[in-house]
Amino acid sequence: MGDMSKNYRLNFLKEVEANVEEGEWVKMCMQCGVCSGSCPLGKFWNHPPQEIFMMIRAGKREEVLTSNAMWMCTSCYNCIVRCPRELPITHIMHGLAHYAKRLGLIPQQQPTAKFAQLFWNNLSNKGRVNELKLGVKLYFMNGIGEGFKTSLKMKDIGMGMMKTKRMNPLEIVGGHGLEDIKGFQAMLKKAQELEDQRIATPRP
Amino acid sequence: MMAVAATVETILVVGGGISGMTAALEAAETGKQVVLVEQRPYLGGRVTQLYKYFPKLCFPTCGLEINQRRTKQNPHLTVLTLAQVTGLTGAVGDYTATIKLAPRYVNERCTACGDCATAVETEFDDEYNYGLSKRKGAYLPYRMAHPARYVLDPAIIGTADAEKAKAACKYDAIDLEMREETLELRCGAVIWATGWQPYDAAKIQPYGYDRFANVITSVEFERLADVNGPTGGKIVRPSDGKEAKKIAFIQCAGSRDRNHLLHCSRICCMASMKQATYVIDAFAEQAEINIYYIDLRSIDRFEDFYTKVRANKNIKFIKSKPSSIVADKDGNPVVHGVDTEGYNRYAEPHDLVVLAVGMEPAVNQNDFPLALKINREGFIEAAPENGGVFAAGCAADALDVNRSAQHATGAALRAIQVINRVARAEV
Amino acid sequence: MAAEKKLVGYLCTGCGISERLNVNQLQTIAVREGKIPEVKQHARLCAPDGVQMIADDIAAGATHLMLAGCSRRSKVEAFSFPNVAISRANLREGVIWARPNTPDNQETTQEMANDYVRMACAELRYLNIPSPSGEQKLNKNILVVGGGVTGMTAALETAAAGYPVHLVCDEAELGGVWKNLYKRVPFRAAASAVPNGYDVDLPQPEEPGITEMSAQVLANPLITVHFNAQLSKTSGAPGRFAADITNTAGATVTENFGAIIQASDFKEYDANQLPEFAYGKTPDVMTNFELERLAKAANGAPLKRPSDGKIVESVAFIQCAGQRSEQNGHLPYCSGFCCTESIKQALYFKAQNPDCDTTILFDDLRTPGAAGEDFYRCGQQEMVTFSKGKASAVVKNSAGLTVKFQDLILNEATELNCDLVVLATGQIPNNGPDPYAQLAVDEAETEEEKEAARIKLEVAPPSILNLDYRQGTDLPQLKHGFLDSHFICFPYETRRTGIYAAGPVRRPMDMKQAMDDAVGAAMKAIQAAESAANSAAVHPRVGDLSYPVFRKEGCTQCKRCTVECPFGAINEDENRYPVFNESRCRRCGTCMGACPVRVISFENYSIDSVNQQIKAVDIPDEFSEKPRILVLACENDAYPALDMAAQAGIETTPFARVVPVRCLGSVSLSWITDSLSSGYDGIVLMGCRRDEDYQCHFVRGSAIAAERLSKVGDTLTQLNLEPERIVVHEVAITDLERAPRLLNEMAQNIEKIGMSPFKF
Repeated sequence: MGDMSKNYRLNFLKEVEANVEEGEWVKMCMQCGVCSGSCPLGKFWNHPPQEIFMMIRAGKREEVLTSNAMWMCTSCYNCIVRCPRELPITHIMHGLAHYAKRLGLIPQQQPTAKFAQLFWNNLSNKGRVNELKLGVKLYFMNGIGEGFKTSLKMKDIGMGMMKTKRMNPLEIVGGHGLEDIKGFQAMLKKAQELEDQRIATPRP
Repeated sequence: MMAVAATVETILVVGGGISGMTAALEAAETGKQVVLVEQRPYLGGRVTQLYKYFPKLCFPTCGLEINQRRTKQNPHLTVLTLAQVTGLTGAVGDYTATIKLAPRYVNERCTACGDCATAVETEFDDEYNYGLSKRKGAYLPYRMAHPARYVLDPAIIGTADAEKAKAACKYDAIDLEMREETLELRCGAVIWATGWQPYDAAKIQPYGYDRFANVITSVEFERLADVNGPTGGKIVRPSDGKEAKKIAFIQCAGSRDRNHLLHCSRICCMASMKQATYVIDAFAEQAEINIYYIDLRSIDRFEDFYTKVRANKNIKFIKSKPSSIVADKDGNPVVHGVDTEGYNRYAEPHDLVVLAVGMEPAVNQNDFPLALKINREGFIEAAPENGGVFAAGCAADALDVNRSAQHATGAALRAIQVINRVARAEV
Repeated sequence: MAAEKKLVGYLCTGCGISERLNVNQLQTIAVREGKIPEVKQHARLCAPDGVQMIADDIAAGATHLMLAGCSRRSKVEAFSFPNVAISRANLREGVIWARPNTPDNQETTQEMANDYVRMACAELRYLNIPSPSGEQKLNKNILVVGGGVTGMTAALETAAAGYPVHLVCDEAELGGVWKNLYKRVPFRAAASAVPNGYDVDLPQPEEPGITEMSAQVLANPLITVHFNAQLSKTSGAPGRFAADITNTAGATVTENFGAIIQASDFKEYDANQLPEFAYGKTPDVMTNFELERLAKAANGAPLKRPSDGKIVESVAFIQCAGQRSEQNGHLPYCSGFCCTESIKQALYFKAQNPDCDTTILFDDLRTPGAAGEDFYRCGQQEMVTFSKGKASAVVKNSAGLTVKFQDLILNEATELNCDLVVLATGQIPNNGPDPYAQLAVDEAETEEEKEAARIKLEVAPPSILNLDYRQGTDLPQLKHGFLDSHFICFPYETRRTGIYAAGPVRRPMDMKQAMDDAVGAAMKAIQAAESAANSAAVHPRVGDLSYPVFRKEGCTQCKRCTVECPFGAINEDENRYPVFNESRCRRCGTCMGACPVRVISFENYSIDSVNQQIKAVDIPDEFSEKPRILVLACENDAYPALDMAAQAGIETTPFARVVPVRCLGSVSLSWITDSLSSGYDGIVLMGCRRDEDYQCHFVRGSAIAAERLSKVGDTLTQLNLEPERIVVHEVAITDLERAPRLLNEMAQNIEKIGMSPFKF
């Protein structure tokens, strides 16, 4: 059973409240299970939201932060609209993911986490998503062999998109972006500063 | 114009359900003058629409028979039906109530012979059966209705049906010239017993009450199970009349939910268990019942009933608030969700789904004729600033029948305290 | 009173009666056979001119009215005339609505109507007009037993209505079990809300208000408090109770009362029966009641664990401790107050130290209503951890305690460490002995039964009321020792008239509910005192002025009446003669039915008033193929069921003759034997459900009747009659289809077994 001294202590709940977006709602869950049932991807998760909330209250820090649960959320908002306690469940799950990432606790080979990083890198570069580059990066995320395999599988769709001018093959070099990229990056920098500041000063 | 003798020593009771009737009778049987005002054409309110009471599984009409007899023979009690309090002014010890009396179009000569109903043709949804059946435009609201007088639906007034009804009556009991009247009435204290209404199940969108015929409410299920109800007590589902042997009861349908009603409606757990016994009575071993709940609230001695019901292996309790209902191709409602004890994901088809709908105060927060202390759930709190107005029963909180009658008995005393003070001051 | 009887009959010809029946024949029968000199026909008797006609006759001296028309349940208001005797022949629901309108049925339908007119006339001749006995005057004093919140509330509310109160408190100060409260669970729900965010203004634990309430009681000029006192004897009846109030010094005062409220609250569950939770092994495991005392003593200072004085930094609450369990020594019921109580107590710790780990292990969290659910959210908001978990054990560890439990949500066996464990234990009603426990000893038939009953009686607690009643010293108990009423519609129904239970002695409950309950009980007590002064019955025969009249000369001192009275209304004198206490009586007539020598009757309901109806029925001869079935139907359920069946067009055999009775308990065996010997072919008794969930409005009437009837077999054998000629049915008011069917089945049975040979 391991060390149980931290069981059902508030330490982890308070850590979540201090560090996770909307974390102060976790304690309000009444374990009805409507979120778990409402999640379209629920059956693919280790722990649906309601269980995650109970685990937080039970002090299961490692299990929660290394769970794949919050990485599987597709932001469909079914849980939020149905939650009888109006918990912002989607936001909490993203908040948990964000916090786990900060702590470097992303599960190994978590594809959605990888994708999120690729997307961010892609977007923050020029302020616009370069779909071709993003697609290529994604396909080759897990090595060259798999990259080619996936590319071949998707080639018809790719050709179709090019034919209908939905994708420009020239985007692979450079690609489009915002006019004021400098301004955009300054904004991101400022946002990062604010975020760092927020993290450095935990909420009361 | 109807004359009702009332003074500052009169107690006005608003609402003639079990709470209002109890309060009115307890006060009248202590010798106080009481005027009981009821919006429906008959007394008894929502309990008249129940088949059985929990936990004894006895019949509401049994106690109603006694309460009706008490009402009929009490010289201190005046009953106004089809009446609504539209205004209330004054202060403790001296109020003036404005009462709107809707026309019944049938006077006290009515012998309840039913000839008028036979004569008329137009049919309407029967509100007594929550629209599960039809009634005529001239009707007795239900068999045991008190007063035992027919009513003409205002919609047939001015039509040929109204004339047919009038022509059919041998007793000169139909008066098509009746008009709405307004009455002013003095009283020293007011008992507010306007009760509850079922929460509008259509607002709980994932459950599809408005989309699936075989998703019904708990109050409708009571009518369905009643041997004197629209199906003669046959538990059949609305879509195709097939016997509903496999039934899901979904608790907290609207209750304990910030999207709907904040409070726990208290009665629904017991009501669903009671209704589960209807299904067992009807289908015995073939019955299959799933009760989906968050917390099973069989409080105090009601626990005995839970113990008894739980012992039946055909009744299962699943700790889960279902996430949604969809209909399969055969019209079976399929209940989706996760059993939180052990994380079993289910997609369970049923013949019928019964939503245990919450109790909502019948009077909207903003519609009270005078300022009262009301909590955000809409119930009237006991508070000195309410003066001589005392809530009874479900106007004060979500209560079961027994607790409503208990609470109403107390409200009668509170009103009597005011009246006795007034009487002493007058001497 | 003894004025001459002037009988007048009225025959309503409306509602189809004249179309279906030969009303002139009915009129002739009423005059010639019924011996009613004047019988008037009216086309609609209930219409204003009809009612006026009757009123005029009364003004002219009519005292006894026979109304033939609709059922006695119909048009009650129209035919409600004071100070006259009325019998009603049920021609509408009872005859024409119950029979098909076809020529071949005409003869039997008319015969039915003829008989009902004969019966009503016969009954009328034997009805007297009851008048108030004046056995007791208005005594406005109310006795409240119990100085807790329930008792204090009852006293204050009674006094607020202008009725003087004596409050008997068995301790030196008021407050009872509640006086140790540090705070109370909030009474009200939140008043406002901010949408899409945290709740604001959620209700918090409140000042308990006990001191203020005690001060109000002591300052109230209408309330007299007897401290350190108990009831050493309570005798009399509503309106004239005499209570000996004895204090611990042995001094006794006797006071008279109109009515009594028993508010003796509850006793704490003995947690020594929970060794699995280490109760008694360490002081750090305590009950919710003990924690409350600790909090009260600390008065806001940090709560320390008793073993070593360490400030509590972690605490676990185990809900349903020794409750909701079939295990021996546990309470099978839910005490109803403990969930909100634990939330409140968890908040004590949070108020001192928001970081205190407080976990509530529950199975079902029960916080009903608006205030309850708000308080649950309040607890969560203050970071009380709620875990659906089933605790199996509490063990000591080096630093404190370990609670082992199954987390039902996380689906695992787990444990938590804490400084303190609070067991949410339940309430045990603080009652005297069940009077029927004493009876059980007296009436046990075998030595074995007697011994078992005696053991039960020996462990019984001391009496609270010390009633000087033939049937025991205290209020009868319903289940698990509670004094609840059993009737859902009538929560204050009591089996000892004028004595009302309130608070946790009636049913487990929290303080708010106990206070609400006390108000209702006060209402009933005041009503009982007022009714007694008018010699009027209380529920369910409200206002009935008749009471049992007893002819002592004929009495054989058999004690059946005193034993069988469901309300303990009848005492015995030193010669074992019954002593009736009118204002304790509920007018059910069970004593009348019990009496083997027929010396008990009521002015308006007697052996004769029914027997004459039975005799009035015309019994066709054996070869007529027209059997006669006597139906004695409970007026509360079976009779209305038959009425409504007719209203619904359900047919009843034309051979049944229905006599409504107050209760099957009032059925005298003489009615049965007389009707058998006068040629009735079958007898059907219809009473209410009589099992554990009994529906009999007079509690035991239906059961008693069934028991009596079980002995009728001998009579039948003696008469050489088939046993199936007499049946007893439990009929519910909803049995619209079944009630007539039962009568029809009897008719079919008679067809099979043949007519009674006793026709003359």
